[in-house]
Amino acid sequence: MEKQLSLPRLRPEMTSGVLCAWLKAEGETVRAGEPVYEIETDKVVNQIEATEGGVLKKLLREEGDEVAAGEAVAILETE
Amino acid sequence: MERKPEWLKVRYNQEAVDEVAKLLGELKLNTVCKEANCPNLGECYRKHTATFMILGSECTRNCRFCNVTPGKPLPPDPEEPENVALAAKKLGLRHVVLTCPTRDDLPDGGAAHFAKTVGAIRASCPGVTVETLISDMKMNTSALDVVIAAHPEVLNHNVETVRELQKAVRPQADYQRSLDVLRYCKGKDPTLLTKTGFMVGLGETEEQIGRLLDDVLAVGCDILTIGQYLQPSPEHYPLARYATPEDFARYKEMALAKGFRHVASAPLARSSYKAWEALEGVHDLH
Repeated sequence: MEKQLSLPRLRPEMTSGVLCAWLKAEGETVRAGEPVYEIETDKVVNQIEATEGGVLKKLLREEGDEVAAGEAVAILETE
Repeated sequence: MERKPEWLKVRYNQEAVDEVAKLLGELKLNTVCKEANCPNLGECYRKHTATFMILGSECTRNCRFCNVTPGKPLPPDPEEPENVALAAKKLGLRHVVLTCPTRDDLPDGGAAHFAKTVGAIRASCPGVTVETLISDMKMNTSALDVVIAAHPEVLNHNVETVRELQKAVRPQADYQRSLDVLRYCKGKDPTLLTKTGFMVGLGETEEQIGRLLDDVLAVGCDILTIGQYLQPSPEHYPLARYATPEDFARYKEMALAKGFRHVASAPLARSSYKAWEALEGVHDLH
């Protein structure tokens, strides 16, 4: 089943963050709990973990993009 | 925005955060983790730990480093002490840290509410230790006496920064008053473990840090936390520098050499981060 990976709202007033790095490539398998990408916010760089496993089918955003909270960054084909 | 150094990376798992946030939301509880936009929230919530912010989420002061919303707080929630105890039980906490926004609007600064909350935790969670991270309560000794009488294992009050930066960083507070709070509490009950913390990266010098360590030690403080200041937004006090992990290791050496019993010094060390380990570390020295 295809699922969108969306940027979580890391704090209530957060509107967006900068996607600074993909830690997994398109086509790569991801396990639940593994970090998939990094988002830079005002204070730190957050490594966002997958909440379920699957194959990273498509990356929708590139490194350096500013992404709105809640916006999809990738499509995961779940197991 | 200046690029963050490698050592300022944290993990975030939405499911783990949602689980703890849901429980806290159902009990109408605030955490300083969320209100202060703490970078360790993801890690702590995953481990089912949280620092409760009792007495509301709005602060009567407006410190320039802090993300807690300034405003007019509501009266204390009478159900909050029991709800904190219930949450502590559900989360399986072995050490509960309680903090608050500064409540200059309340005659006792919220001391009685602190004492009730400590009492509720004692009644529902036997064996659980409690740490109260209090405001200066305007150095009102009768208010401080109420907190001391509740006998938390650790009484924490942060000096936040060196003497020279106090006016700029926390204009409604006072370095000497914070030292007086720590001295008074230790003097009143020497069995209390006292704790304080400060940030680096606000523009302080190493000499100023050395003097802060001496000042805090002179008021009998047992436990110290040192962490990196992280600017919550462009409107907050400007960041002067990122101290390196080697800097933090040096500060720790300095503090231990001067005589502190336990020092947590790391870029992401926070006042309540791994607070149980600090208490355990000091008890090992008994």
